[in-house]
Amino acid sequence: MKKIYISCTLVGFIFLASGCNPHARQEDSGMTLLKKTNSSPIQLSTMNSSKEVQDIKKDVSSLPEIYDVAVIKGKKDTLVVYKVKHLQRFRMKKIEKKLNTLLEKKYPDDKFSVSSDYKIFLEAERLRKKIKDAHVTKKKAEKELQSIIKLKDETT
Amino acid sequence: MASKKKKTTPEQLKYQQLQQKHELKRPVLKNCIKAFFVGGLICMICQAVSFFYIYYFNFTEQTAGNPTVATMVFFSMLLTGFGVYDRLGQFAGAGSAVPVTGFGNAVISAAIEHRTEGLVLGVGGNMFKLAGAVILFGVVSAFFVALIKTLLGVWGVL
Repeated sequence: MKKIYISCTLVGFIFLASGCNPHARQEDSGMTLLKKTNSSPIQLSTMNSSKEVQDIKKDVSSLPEIYDVAVIKGKKDTLVVYKVKHLQRFRMKKIEKKLNTLLEKKYPDDKFSVSSDYKIFLEAERLRKKIKDAHVTKKKAEKELQSIIKLKDETT
Repeated sequence: MASKKKKTTPEQLKYQQLQQKHELKRPVLKNCIKAFFVGGLICMICQAVSFFYIYYFNFTEQTAGNPTVATMVFFSMLLTGFGVYDRLGQFAGAGSAVPVTGFGNAVISAAIEHRTEGLVLGVGGNMFKLAGAVILFGVVSAFFVALIKTLLGVWGVL
């Protein structure tokens, strides 16, 4: 019994200590799965104005079921990833359909890849951070975006 | 049931009444709460394992389910071998049997039980004694669900 108490206290201390992160205010993709990131949208091609990606993010965020959105616009494809509020997760398919029709209606010329998967959100966030820190060239970023879109379509 | 009651002798009836008087009442609510929390804890660990696969490997939320199930079954097999899962099962009941870890426990406990009867006829023949039914009904129900979904898709309902 004593051992159980000791191990419980130890686990409690670990949880407490993990809360005391000195870099908590910095942007960290590690917490993407648990926290709201509200990241700025990224545009890889210089052909269009950056206002369009801002608009896409604003439109997607306007849906009441969604609480976090990441947008990455490549040369041809635009990746839109979002997180759905917990109790609304029962209606995931309907929300995706609603979002698809909204985007197709408003931006008929763009090709969208829409996903609510945490992994895709995490990868989009990692790519955004790499671009922001200038760790990748535009060409490599485009390649990574394509691999994220490919990962999104994987089912098994 | 009624025909059985008719056949009971007065002594048997008297004994049944005495038995009912002394029988301990099952703490149903307490058992449910225990099962709820232990089952929930197991599911929380599953979620953590799933997040681990999503975060460190190339698995999406959809595909992370397979390695997560495999890992949890492996853990439960180890715990059954060490005798920990049996104690957990006694404490939590359905809370430890319903999650996928209960499946691993059913497989390995049958294998351990029949180890003395030999590897082929003992372990091999009895390993899926209980889990076999789970696999069979799982596969059959999955087949029918897939069939219904395909038909609904063909008819344009879905």
